[in-house]
Amino acid sequence: MGNEALSSGNSLAASTNGLGISCRGVSSGYLGSKVLEDISFAISEPAIYVVLGPNGAGKTTLFRTLAGILRPYRGQVLIGGEEVDRQSSRDHLHYISHMDGIPDGLQVREALQFYARVERASNDDVDRVLNMLEIQDLADRYLSQLSAGQRKRVSIARVFLREREIYLLDEPTANLDPKLAREIRELILRLSQQKIVLYSSHNLFEAREIGRYVIAIKAGRLALFDRIENLRGAHFVVGIRVLNPGSPAALANFTRQGDYFLRELDGPEAVPPLLRELDAQGVQVRELREMNNPLEDLFT
Amino acid sequence: MASSSGPEGPSSLLGSTVRRSFTVGRMNLVIGTGVSLLYGVILSVIPGGSFATVLPLLLPVMGSIGGIGAMLVFTNDRTKGVFEYLIAYGVPPQQIFLNFLGAAFVLLTVVNVTTLFAAVGIRLALGYGVPLVFAESVLAYSLPMSYGATALCTSAGMYWTSLSSPRQGMNSPLGLLPIVGVAPGLVTLLAAEAAGPTLGVYVAIGAVVLVVLLAVILLALESRLMPRERLLSPA
Repeated sequence: MGNEALSSGNSLAASTNGLGISCRGVSSGYLGSKVLEDISFAISEPAIYVVLGPNGAGKTTLFRTLAGILRPYRGQVLIGGEEVDRQSSRDHLHYISHMDGIPDGLQVREALQFYARVERASNDDVDRVLNMLEIQDLADRYLSQLSAGQRKRVSIARVFLREREIYLLDEPTANLDPKLAREIRELILRLSQQKIVLYSSHNLFEAREIGRYVIAIKAGRLALFDRIENLRGAHFVVGIRVLNPGSPAALANFTRQGDYFLRELDGPEAVPPLLRELDAQGVQVRELREMNNPLEDLFT
Repeated sequence: MASSSGPEGPSSLLGSTVRRSFTVGRMNLVIGTGVSLLYGVILSVIPGGSFATVLPLLLPVMGSIGGIGAMLVFTNDRTKGVFEYLIAYGVPPQQIFLNFLGAAFVLLTVVNVTTLFAAVGIRLALGYGVPLVFAESVLAYSLPMSYGATALCTSAGMYWTSLSSPRQGMNSPLGLLPIVGVAPGLVTLLAAEAAGPTLGVYVAIGAVVLVVLLAVILLALESRLMPRERLLSPA
């Protein structure tokens, strides 16, 4: 991995008011026990940066360090050139931890007012966010009376109280039903058009669907920082679903997996010839998709 | 590194912490205030010296029970990532700690004020008067002991909670810790009663000095005993 792979664009930096986030040789952890070792990267282009890694790799520790919660043992985290520990730097960040961060004992509106006080937002912002996330009906209910999905919605709502330039979202869609997960992905996608979003997820298909860059952490070290489109898996396997299987020999070179017929190809460039070959043999293809995800290789 | 909270730092969260401690710890507050009131009323209507001697000894015990709600909220907040959120937005860990101590004091004050107003009011209404020794005992023992024991209990509870690894969904892994708050008042009450009127005074004063001293030591060691990592939910 060359140095050029450790930073993202500069032409679009103006969209985030020129603010970027960078790590310079950061080592960090808990109570003197090191979890992250010598992490360096710089981000300035508005996009979604998916942070991936196996359990225990240090993703949450990275988020906590970027958010200024953990102070690095070595190195620096800079927001727009200033150390993240300064209040002026923190004011450019939104952070959602893997826990919901919901203050029990309050009603939904009171909880958002609690967040608003911390973030110096107004009561008008609270009303706006209640409408935006469609949780007006929940406003007077105690948080302890909400379902996990509703609590998550409240937790997510707070990042819209005030606009900031950099969003650190640690597993924002974990444990959500598919509908809510999709809604939140769409909100984040819209955000990422103008903002820097670092986003961790264990859902590799989700990561590939919305991410532009990947930051892979392995055993506390930066294993990869690159555009997702540049990743090539070790194997390129496509699956097809058919309306009509054509001649008996047409799918002989495929293996069956559920509704799909699978075949390993040399790469994406082999897809058009394959489709022509299938068409010639009378196979009517209903769907073709890449079955493996190159992001999976980051976990091996 | 620079200080984490600038001049525009987040406003005080004490109000929210108090409000939440009332909600989450309402049962403890009802028990503390209710039992304290009950004894206050009973001792007020009984002519004689027990009002002046027993009620001041009892007050810190019930006050400590009433203040447990703050610790419950502290435990919830740590487990659910609220502290992580607050620190990320620039609230210093010391402020978080002091918010909860303040909330515990407010709950305790509710118990103390309610009981004292009710008890003294009943005495005056019945025409018994309020002995000077009662006022002296409240000022020299009840108030310093109740605030000292609550500070000790709340600090110890927060340290203990921050040292433990709470399981998901577990609301109050405080175990027997609330006893830390109740024990000084309870032990002193029993010891002072056993020691008799003269020696009992020295027992009570000695206990107050010891508890307040321990509370001050714990508070002074706050930043050393509870670094910010201790306030985070398990990764």
